[in-house]
Amino acid sequence: MYNRLCILLIEPSFLIREGLKTMLSNLGNPYRLEEIDTPLDDLEKLINRLHPTLIMINPLLIPKMITLPRDPESNFNPIYIGLISNGVSTKTKSKFDNLLNLDGDRHELFKTMEKVMQQLGTSQTETDNYTLSERELSILKLVALGNTNNEIADRLFISTHTVMTHRKNITRKLGIKTVSGLTVYAILNQHIKMEEIQGS
Amino acid sequence: MRINKDMKMAEVIHLNHHLLPVLNRFDIHLGFGERSVETVCRDHALNIDFFLEIVNTFHDPSYFPVRHLQSFKASMLIDYLQKTHAYYLDFKIPEIRQNIRQITQEGSLQNSHKKLLEDFFDSYQHELTTHINKEEQRVYPYVISLENTLDNPASTVKELQEIGRYSILEYEEDHDDVEAKLFDLKNIIIKYLPTSKNNKLLNVILHDIFELERDLNNHGHIEDLILVPIVENMEKALRARLNKLSANV
Ligand SMILES: [Fe+2]
Ligand SMILES: [Fe+2]
Repeated sequence: MYNRLCILLIEPSFLIREGLKTMLSNLGNPYRLEEIDTPLDDLEKLINRLHPTLIMINPLLIPKMITLPRDPESNFNPIYIGLISNGVSTKTKSKFDNLLNLDGDRHELFKTMEKVMQQLGTSQTETDNYTLSERELSILKLVALGNTNNEIADRLFISTHTVMTHRKNITRKLGIKTVSGLTVYAILNQHIKMEEIQGS
Repeated sequence: MRINKDMKMAEVIHLNHHLLPVLNRFDIHLGFGERSVETVCRDHALNIDFFLEIVNTFHDPSYFPVRHLQSFKASMLIDYLQKTHAYYLDFKIPEIRQNIRQITQEGSLQNSHKKLLEDFFDSYQHELTTHINKEEQRVYPYVISLENTLDNPASTVKELQEIGRYSILEYEEDHDDVEAKLFDLKNIIIKYLPTSKNNKLLNVILHDIFELERDLNNHGHIEDLILVPIVENMEKALRARLNKLSANV
């Protein structure tokens, strides 16, 4: 529902939570964070409600026998970061996608977090070309004229999935999410004429 | 910095003036003198814990006491949410609309662009109004009568069954993002709308949109993460009571 990075932080120590938040702020990505300081038996439910992109969790707060909820089928798949200190077992470590060593130095901590941010595709250092490609432009016009993804796929002889990928890229480049927003953009830039929409 | 009960109310506003409309929703108005947050709340017969949690979630979007807030009464929450709706529909939206009308009369925008801007905002207004009406006509009344039915020890099986016919799950599933168009409008104005002169009114409009977006974000967050869990707990209690009653028959 929200486009900001959503992080679930599950860690008993107040100082460590505050430290992590400061670190996250220094990385410069806007984020929303939910903090939990006690063991959770309803982790799955909480995940379903919040849809976090990132879960930072202290293994001590994972109830024994519980496997971390993952759903490869859905397009929503959180990245788990284990908040560990020296001496944590290899078996525990293997539960997570990434590890953040709380005993590590500043350089190591930031390096790990930057790596994770890159995986999430939210890194600020990412360089990108913000002009629309020919293909994106023709899809934008069709969207603005009121065509559905399926109609566009048929018209351009590509799969609906490809249309959706293009649309995601258009939205990312322009900062415009809705069809009516894209229509306004297309008219302002004279990609389509106002009469064309009224006619359809 | 967390806002606490011992701070002066005036200090709170100095700390974050965006909280002014939030205070209005609690019927608190300016002229605090040296009174503390606690005193002002007592003077207005407000639940201090509830007040603090609401202002803190608004003040710091990364602060969200998901678990703690759930101990509050649903009716308290709904009262706050309804006042927030009224603030959007009766005040903020008409204000932005008024400024857009004024800017289109000024002549600094091309004719065709004026219409685009006005139409886009009108369709947003329509979307927001529909969203809010659905909540006020269907969801909130359900929550209030669920709470009343549960609070009344004399509620009959029939009454309990009747209220159990709706479930908050329905709301949870189709509660949609009402900020998307606003987000677009922001970028259209910032990046793509050609303006011929340095337009101060456009700055005012943008500022208002940022403010409204932030407010809506917090509002939706409260609905999804506090109201829904509270209602789910009540629904659990309702089912438990029905089971107990039917076991006794
Ligand atoms: Fe609402
Ligand atoms: Fe809502």
